[in-house]
Amino acid sequence: MKRSWLVVGALLGIFMRAPETSRAQVKGTIFGPGERSYPIALSPLKSLSGGGGDLATQFADIIGRDLSLTGYFKLLDRAAYIEKPDASGYTAETINFDNWSVIGALALMKGAYTLEGDNLTIEVRLFDVYQRRQLAGRRYHGSASELRRMANKFADEIMTQFTGERGPFDSRIAFASTRDGRFKEIYAMSPDSGDLQQLTKTSTINISPSWSPDSRVLLYTSYKTRNPNLYAIDFFGGRETRISDRPGLNLGGKFSPDGTKIALTVEENGNADIVVVDRSGGLVRRITDNWSIDVSPTWSPDGRQIAFTSNRAGGPQIYVAGVDGGEARRVTFTGTYNTSPAWSPKGDRIAYVSRLDGGFNLFTVKVDGGDPHQLTQGTGDNEDPSWAPDGRYLVFSSSRGGHSKLFVTDASGSSQVQLTHGGGDDTSPAWSRWLD
Amino acid sequence: MRKRLLGAMTLALLIVVAGVGCSSKKKATTSGAAGGGVGDEALGSGAGSLEKYKQGLPPGEEGPLKDVHFAFDSYDLDEESRGVLRDNGNWLKDHSTAKAEIEGHCDERGTVEYNLALGAKRARAAKDYLVALGVEAGRLTTISYGEELPLCHEHDESCWQRNRRAHFVVPSE
Repeated sequence: MKRSWLVVGALLGIFMRAPETSRAQVKGTIFGPGERSYPIALSPLKSLSGGGGDLATQFADIIGRDLSLTGYFKLLDRAAYIEKPDASGYTAETINFDNWSVIGALALMKGAYTLEGDNLTIEVRLFDVYQRRQLAGRRYHGSASELRRMANKFADEIMTQFTGERGPFDSRIAFASTRDGRFKEIYAMSPDSGDLQQLTKTSTINISPSWSPDSRVLLYTSYKTRNPNLYAIDFFGGRETRISDRPGLNLGGKFSPDGTKIALTVEENGNADIVVVDRSGGLVRRITDNWSIDVSPTWSPDGRQIAFTSNRAGGPQIYVAGVDGGEARRVTFTGTYNTSPAWSPKGDRIAYVSRLDGGFNLFTVKVDGGDPHQLTQGTGDNEDPSWAPDGRYLVFSSSRGGHSKLFVTDASGSSQVQLTHGGGDDTSPAWSRWLD
Repeated sequence: MRKRLLGAMTLALLIVVAGVGCSSKKKATTSGAAGGGVGDEALGSGAGSLEKYKQGLPPGEEGPLKDVHFAFDSYDLDEESRGVLRDNGNWLKDHSTAKAEIEGHCDERGTVEYNLALGAKRARAAKDYLVALGVEAGRLTTISYGEELPLCHEHDESCWQRNRRAHFVVPSE
């Protein structure tokens, strides 16, 4: 994968960014509290070299899908745009901002591309329409197949400009799905739901994918040799290693934040316990060792603690244990059935699933067990939460429409958007970290 | 492995073909039955739930050993389950070379990973009881499928109850 474009982009980004002083006054004044429908226009790119097919609109479409997941923006209908990209400028000096303010845009994205053979260069800028000035600009250079990464990176940049924090879109989401038949296979895609790839083709049951910290390796459990074993598969190239084939369950493997260890559930005499192994599957430490069901480990971002599900109190609840030993402490105290913990990348909260009135709903709770917050209600079964790398969004599986589909919600639950569509059931999503 | 698969497939076919006539015989035992019983009870059902799923066959409850059921989020054996296990144990003691794989299953509610662990507990509970009844532990293996291979798909208690089970597979050899 070409890295040169990153360097070029970073260097030129410095020159094309708005000066620091005005940026400081812009942050925090663009979005008011609870901003939910900030009107933004995403213009297709101007073509400087001809060719490229629908690349010009694809770039804008990908960013549009990303921004529609955030709950902040109102995407203005392209049919209402007055000007044609190829006949208009794309810098603060050459843009006719009246054409955009008249359709209600407060923000505008505009840019241009050149495609020479397989070499794609995109120059793209974000403008404040009312103030008629540039907020951010980037130049990306790479192969034509990296269009999606360029678009996702700029969507993240737009989020930085409006919220002060980088957006989560230059990442991947893996999940299990029966979309291509009755077998649950592992898939991965970009958060805008493009670039869908099928990673396993085993004609058996595959579950619980999770990413390495560098987003290059996926762990998953498969019944392909009958015993549910834990495997690691390279995202590029598909080379696979078997990490753990202990008799019985080898389930819910999760890399430690530094990538050197894997926590997973193993089984002895029918009893599920959590252990930490090294990357070749050798035992490093037992985290639990008792008669109860202990499953679904999730690491704290500092790698020092693991949250998990245990039914040692009768029904399943969420507990936290130090990786170096010590008694586990309970963190969920409302409800009788709490499972599926996911530790926020921000470190302060744990997402989980709670059974309420017969349905399953998403909650988050503070790491010390306080302030439980409900995100979903009355909408089928909502399970398998996984945090976006920015700690502000979660992807989860919901059966609210019949089949299980993936949805994205913000951490408050006030913005929930359906991410996957089509046939079969999509479950067990895992949102990777940023790709670089 | 292939030989077993072929054997299992043949057997599954036989059972499907013979199933209509045989269902009334489910309660009968064949212990000590004279000569070459071709009925599906003298021989194991062969294919486990995963093998059947891979072959596109419907899951079933046929075979000499009956399913044992559990309450929601539980792996306790109630009176009825213990009765079924006693029958299963007697069959196994009468067929002293037969092995059995015990599958643990759950209903669709609850999370995938928790249900896999619960299924493991259910399979183990059934195995432990059979061992206590005198069946050699080495003849029994366990595997959990959690909520992955249900018998039925309706979203109601009668289907959920059927799915909360330990299922016994006696391979044909």
